[in-house]
Amino acid sequence: MLFPTIEFAVFFAVVFPITWLLNAHNTSKKVFLTAASYYFYAAWRPEFTLLLLTSSMFNYGAALVIDRCKYRRHRLPALWLAIAVNLGLLGFFKYYNFLVASLINAAAPVGLTIDLGFIELPLPVAISFFTFHALSYIIDVYRRVLPPTKSLLDILFYISFFPHLIAGPIVRANKFLAQTLGPRDPAHIRLGESVFLILGGLFKKVIVANYLATGFVDGVFRDPTANSSFDLVLGMYAYALQIYCDFSAYTDIAIGVANLLGYEFPQNFNYPYRAVSVQDFWRRWHMSLSSWLRDYLYIPLGGSRFGILATYRNIMITMALGGLWHGASWAFLIWGCLHGAALMVERMLGITAGGGRTGDTDDDGAVAQRSPLVRALGWFITLQFVCLAWVFFRAPSTDAWLGYFATMFAGRSWSTTMTPFLAVIFVLGAFSHILPPRLFDDLQRRYDAASLPVKIAAPFVVIYLIAVAAPSGIAPFIYFQF
Amino acid sequence: MTHADPAALPPPAAKPLRTAALIIYGTFILLALTIPQSLTNWLRDMNDNPLQSVALRGTEAWQAVTEKTRLPAVYRHARDVFIAVSGVEPD
Repeated sequence: MLFPTIEFAVFFAVVFPITWLLNAHNTSKKVFLTAASYYFYAAWRPEFTLLLLTSSMFNYGAALVIDRCKYRRHRLPALWLAIAVNLGLLGFFKYYNFLVASLINAAAPVGLTIDLGFIELPLPVAISFFTFHALSYIIDVYRRVLPPTKSLLDILFYISFFPHLIAGPIVRANKFLAQTLGPRDPAHIRLGESVFLILGGLFKKVIVANYLATGFVDGVFRDPTANSSFDLVLGMYAYALQIYCDFSAYTDIAIGVANLLGYEFPQNFNYPYRAVSVQDFWRRWHMSLSSWLRDYLYIPLGGSRFGILATYRNIMITMALGGLWHGASWAFLIWGCLHGAALMVERMLGITAGGGRTGDTDDDGAVAQRSPLVRALGWFITLQFVCLAWVFFRAPSTDAWLGYFATMFAGRSWSTTMTPFLAVIFVLGAFSHILPPRLFDDLQRRYDAASLPVKIAAPFVVIYLIAVAAPSGIAPFIYFQF
Repeated sequence: MTHADPAALPPPAAKPLRTAALIIYGTFILLALTIPQSLTNWLRDMNDNPLQSVALRGTEAWQAVTEKTRLPAVYRHARDVFIAVSGVEPD
């Protein structure tokens, strides 16, 4: 069930009133929302709801066992066992075939034959996301940041809650479980913000991401060598815009929908292509994953506490695994390592998240604000790096990205197949980063202060116009495969 | 788009739930009134079952009523103009 579909609109039209009617009866509400979330998940493949249920029940029990261990030396093995089971499940579905194929390919040149079969199961949708939600819960219980919940229902609800289930944002257990303790206050609904997030998400996904994908990007990446160099340059930037509009659309709608049901989700994107360094980019792109990797991988590895070499190692491990989290392929690993290498280089050069230099200021980049030229240069270099790295992310094979770069840098032909209509879509998508944030804030404020008929008419007009201009089919969200 | 600073926003509406419900269902009703064919087409694409049959008959009746207002024709015309101007493939 995709967000920008009639199916989801009907689903939400049923879920919204029942949720609030049951609000005073918190347990009944959670039972209902959990059942609705399992129905939402079952819309893809009903059999995988069993996997979701098993994973949730296991982590519920694991947290109780971890908490029962008084001493850290006893809790740690229990935690490792729970992590191994979670990652084992993820690894089986997501990485087993990749590992087998890599082993076979590595053994072939030396004359070894490895007789391991491949599994022929589809990848369960959202397995990476619900595994990370579960890990956040058991690790927080281990750290005594969060007491384990005695309620299995709360865990089933937390892990399966449909707005974040399929593609995030990754909501921390301690943030979400606190919201499940009692009825939600309707006064916490931020109508203007939710409406804008949902409408903006629909526009970004249905219009920008879909047209760029089907009209240009897919064709350019299908056979890069058949395209002009200029088309490949445009394809690289178009994909950067497509993946942003696709993924941020999903999480924007998720945040808006959750808020209409009374729940708070963390922000997941903050103008990532305005970043003035790669570190800054990761503080703006998929923020819930970046902070998850920082808190549950980078810092436990030692972070930056054990010298410069250990810091570089920890950065590379974190980014390589972050790359692999997206999928089982060498391209994702290379993409993660490229970002890791860029972060290392920035650290060597003393560049902070804000574009200033380490030691000059804190990470908010106060110095950078005093040197617009440095910021502009930082922004330009970061944008080129991020867009070039996306080619690895998007290219279907090693041959594809090799061909892509070879043709792009060959300077062969500067003609383009991008139509004027797609160029307009490209510019409209770019406006998501060009327009100042305070313009959106101002519009939200005006919307909140508007009369009820205007409040109803505005979303209607926007959705109507989107329907007029929509392509005839909606492609699945890119991050569904992760 | 980012989260707005809550401190910079006006205080919440007096009856936020009622307002939210009116916005959601008001929008859905207006869309069903102006683009009823999307509901009908969606139901036609579904697998046959008793509920789908009843719902399809209902939306077909609804579409027949709304056609008299000529609002669905406005949408079709707008869509045709968009396709002609943009050059995208027709449905």
